[in-house]
Amino acid sequence: MGTQRSDRFDEVEWDEISQSRWFEPSKNTLGVVFCTLPLALLGIYDWQVLGERTATFAFLGTEWNLEGIDYLFGFTLVLFAFYVVAPLYQNPRMTRYYWRQFKRNRPAVVSLGWLGVVFVGGLFGPLVVSAPEQSVLTGHQPPVFLSIDAANVATCVGDVVGGRCQGTLQHPLGTTQGGKDVFASIVYGMTISMQIAFITTTIVAAIGVSVGTVSAYAGGWVDETLMRFVDVVLSFPTLLMFLLILYIYGAGLGMFILVFSLFAWGGTARYVRSKSLSVSEAEYVKAGRLTGATTAQVVRRHVVPNTASSIITQLTLLVPGFLLAEAQLAFLGLGDSAVPSWGQLISAGRSDLSFAPWIVLAPGVVLFLTILAFNFLGDALLDALNPEAEAENE
Amino acid sequence: MTDDASPLLAVEGLTTAFDTDEGELVAVDGIDFTVEAGETVCLVGESGSGKTVATESITRLIGSPPGRIEGSVRYRGRDLLEMPEPELRTIRGYDIAHVFQNPQEAMNHCYTVGWQIVEALQIHEDVPDAEARGRAIDLLDRVGIANPSARFEEYPHQLSGGQKQRAMIAMALVGDPDLLIADEPTTALDVTVQAQILSLLDELQSEFDMGVLFVTHDLGVVAQIADRIVVMYAGKVMERGDVLDIFERPAHPYTRRLLECIPEVGGSRKGGIPGTLPDPHDPPAGCRFAPRCSHAVEACRTGGQPAEHAVNPGQHASCVHYRSDMDRSVLRDGSREEQPAAGGVSPEDE
Amino acid sequence: MSEEPLMSVRDLEKHYPITEGLFRRQVGVTRAVDGISFEVERGETLGLVGESGCGKSTAASSIVRLEEPTGGEVIFNGNGRGGATRNADGTHPNDVTRFDDRELEAFRRGVQMVFQDPSSSFDPRMTIGDAIAEPLRVQGMDDRDRRRAIVEDLLDRVGLSASDADRYPHEFSGGQKQRIALARALVLNPDLVIADEPVSALDVSIKAEILGLLDELQSAFDLSLLLISHDMSVIREVCDRVAVMYLGEIVEIGPVSRVFSDPKHPYTEALLSSIPTPDPRASPGGIELEGTVPSPSDPPSGCRFHTRCHRVIQPAELDIDQSAWRGLLNLRATAESGAVDVAGIRERLAADSETDVTDAAVKARIRADFDIPSEVASETAERTLSRGLDQIVNGEFEAAADTFSEAFTTPCEETAPERIEHGSGHESACLLHEPDRTSDDGEGAGGRRVSADE
Repeated sequence: MGTQRSDRFDEVEWDEISQSRWFEPSKNTLGVVFCTLPLALLGIYDWQVLGERTATFAFLGTEWNLEGIDYLFGFTLVLFAFYVVAPLYQNPRMTRYYWRQFKRNRPAVVSLGWLGVVFVGGLFGPLVVSAPEQSVLTGHQPPVFLSIDAANVATCVGDVVGGRCQGTLQHPLGTTQGGKDVFASIVYGMTISMQIAFITTTIVAAIGVSVGTVSAYAGGWVDETLMRFVDVVLSFPTLLMFLLILYIYGAGLGMFILVFSLFAWGGTARYVRSKSLSVSEAEYVKAGRLTGATTAQVVRRHVVPNTASSIITQLTLLVPGFLLAEAQLAFLGLGDSAVPSWGQLISAGRSDLSFAPWIVLAPGVVLFLTILAFNFLGDALLDALNPEAEAENE
Repeated sequence: MTDDASPLLAVEGLTTAFDTDEGELVAVDGIDFTVEAGETVCLVGESGSGKTVATESITRLIGSPPGRIEGSVRYRGRDLLEMPEPELRTIRGYDIAHVFQNPQEAMNHCYTVGWQIVEALQIHEDVPDAEARGRAIDLLDRVGIANPSARFEEYPHQLSGGQKQRAMIAMALVGDPDLLIADEPTTALDVTVQAQILSLLDELQSEFDMGVLFVTHDLGVVAQIADRIVVMYAGKVMERGDVLDIFERPAHPYTRRLLECIPEVGGSRKGGIPGTLPDPHDPPAGCRFAPRCSHAVEACRTGGQPAEHAVNPGQHASCVHYRSDMDRSVLRDGSREEQPAAGGVSPEDE
Repeated sequence: MSEEPLMSVRDLEKHYPITEGLFRRQVGVTRAVDGISFEVERGETLGLVGESGCGKSTAASSIVRLEEPTGGEVIFNGNGRGGATRNADGTHPNDVTRFDDRELEAFRRGVQMVFQDPSSSFDPRMTIGDAIAEPLRVQGMDDRDRRRAIVEDLLDRVGLSASDADRYPHEFSGGQKQRIALARALVLNPDLVIADEPVSALDVSIKAEILGLLDELQSAFDLSLLLISHDMSVIREVCDRVAVMYLGEIVEIGPVSRVFSDPKHPYTEALLSSIPTPDPRASPGGIELEGTVPSPSDPPSGCRFHTRCHRVIQPAELDIDQSAWRGLLNLRATAESGAVDVAGIRERLAADSETDVTDAAVKARIRADFDIPSEVASETAERTLSRGLDQIVNGEFEAAADTFSEAFTTPCEETAPERIEHGSGHESACLLHEPDRTSDDGEGAGGRRVSADE
């Protein structure tokens, strides 16, 4: 409302307007920086000041300890909040439009609900449910409403009716051989699954989008080199590599995530490259260049957002692969047995399958549903996030 | 016209609807028209008027579901909509041939041009390969493709857009069709190539004595080739009649405004037709054009699309102003307005 | 201001290299735009018309440097840069092709574009308000409210409402999107708007609306307009002057009224006659161009249109029917490319008749195919033709090609025509109009060309 200001385009005095200053960080970027900073400080404090064995929040009087992977998970959650959730909130009109498209697909809506449960359970479950503990005496407790031959249990927590131990609400899904509560283990497994999902996705997206866009825009020998490198990455025997590391150094969840995601971005990079090439032909990119923006600005404003939303589908379909891989490795006994993942739980129950099938079935069903949900979600997102296809209906 | 025989193609009450997520979409809503042997009928309309859906409904090229086709389409007296699919297949692409808008997409790029024509022929006739090849080359020659035996061996990408459209026409001619349905066959082509294709179609029509149903939005093309015109808007027929009547004495306000949009005819007038096409999911309660029509009165806004009223012999307009109890003089709005005289009209100069 | 034009394009070239193999060895060039020159005056609308592939869109993107031109200059005198004189080394300070990044950024405020396809001209993930405001933002206007106010004002001017700013592209129809595209092009208050087929994707009723709006905005803001179109009726309705392009060259340029009523170049003539007139009583246009546009990677020598021209010039010693001459040249071209299909002709003739196919019948068929009469009205030409046809029938295709190429030559393939002035800025590049067709030295050519100070 300044006195000099004119709100008509043909009365703007361009000479008075300061020369273009592009870098004005968006609110979202500021938010990421703002939230990452304390996380990073805490991490440094944990790493440099506290000893190996001191719990991170010992000063609060709790035993709650954070490890490297938790920091990484925290960081990806911050990114998720500010670059996925916040934009949806900031552009309600677009969100409503996407939602209308998305909700046509009923199974996908159910899937989203299920993944929401897993997400919330993984994030807050450990705060509510106490960690499963070994208790050899209460091993092989049946789930509630089921029973097991009393001969198979050392101590029956519930009633013993007719020589059969009845399940109780204390262990709604029963216990393992070691007496660990299956329900609690599944809840803790949710955390692991979410960590795998979020961290791998972030790493794959970051590398894939960068390599893909650079390759598309640089062209020439850069393109050639990067794409040949992608070929190498795609043909790399990741599993053997992981086994090697496992045998030499031993490998925890962090190493699993790192190794698998560092060799999984090849397809994404290729996809982003071809998508970027087609987006860069679009007239709105030309219009963007005609505003006087540099190539980097055009890529950031138009090319990356328009490729990123299409790779969301691809990434969603990549996650089940990681979850399955983790479960398979754990089942084969190649995982870190200290990690309470679903795979470990399944692996723990395999020997008791004949008389205590719930130890395998409960996490197995949860794993199956989660993987199915990711696949449904991916399909629905493909349809919902594709406004080009929608435009053709006009 | 001939009164003794039924027309080559008679479309009555043709309705095509699709099930969509937003409910039923009626793309074509009860349209009537006929095509006689040897004449060219132009189906004119803007995009979204349903003209392509209408032509594809004739030989049931539209799958059902998702589409639902109702009404009657009689070809030489036989109803194509009732006909079992195997019998229809003997007619589709043989007696009734289609030429599509985009020759790029209408050809299969994995096969040679010649092979595709031979295939089209052998689907309908049991001819040996050598003979089929000879006939295909002959057809290519007839549609004006130079050096046809060399072109026979070529793949679609080796031909130019105009040549591809010629090849498509050759393919349509395999069965000496009685009716050629051409859906915007020249829209994707340059104007000089368009002129070539139009004159080719004209030649072929008299040579084969075909009825041609020509779909287009280009009124210049219509004026050049049409004998009769069917004007469609939002799934309904607004007006139909002889080409001279429609161009010189357009009756329906939509036809008038459409003609005024052409620079050469409208002269100084600019500005098109204000407003947009109605939402196909929720069409206006009365005349489809009423919301954009400057002559709309209360009677236009209710009671569905008005019945067709004869304006001149052979010219019908679906507009309430031509009802006997309405005053037509409201339609007079410009210098080029003529009072549509009832009964016989003397041809007027432009 | 002086009388200098707003923009003057001189000998603009855009050649694409054709590369081959692993090391991208250059094996040729595609001459998409091959030395075009024209001026755009302040406040005028210049049309650039031609068939697809003639290079008109490439010309536009080279002018605004969406693609880097490979030659020539584009002198832009808008943005308050007028009145500049050439530097000592002959370069022009206002030459867009030599602008550095900073000058180029400022140049964006002088020239904007409207594109053809309404469905792809907006980022599907950006509200149209943001899309229109983007140029302002990039150019450094940091005041968010002010950007918003300008956008709302502009939306109003192009016939939409201010509240539309929060909507997304998919919520608009094609015509509305083209209005928004106009708003985006205008937001920096440019001197020149280049519209590349702005209405070709629209329906006829919407087309007229958008053209009307374009006209309105042009007079309201004193814009110059370069309108690229393949549609002659659009050009006729909106433009003051028109330039006709064929295969990367401008063959005719002049005021619309003169070019349309009295086309000088045969290509323009053919183009005009192939537009269907919306008058059912009119007989269809007389001239039908044969064949297709040659490839710009190997354009014909001399006048590029001579391979299809219906007025192609006969050699001095010849005076036969023009269509027969065209036929002879077509036969020669077909023979040279080795595509005279004698076997095919025999086959087809055999299918039609019981008896053996005689050579005479084949020759008659070839003549008929190429519209050559059975007796060409020139003894020498007829003799050469018969000899060539004999050679063809005997399978001596190369000899026949030689026979034809020696005898049937046209000045059009030897001499590239200069632009000739016909008065009132109407120029065409056709040998038919050269005052002295026999002299083909370049003397005086420069004088006949339009120069910048005109």
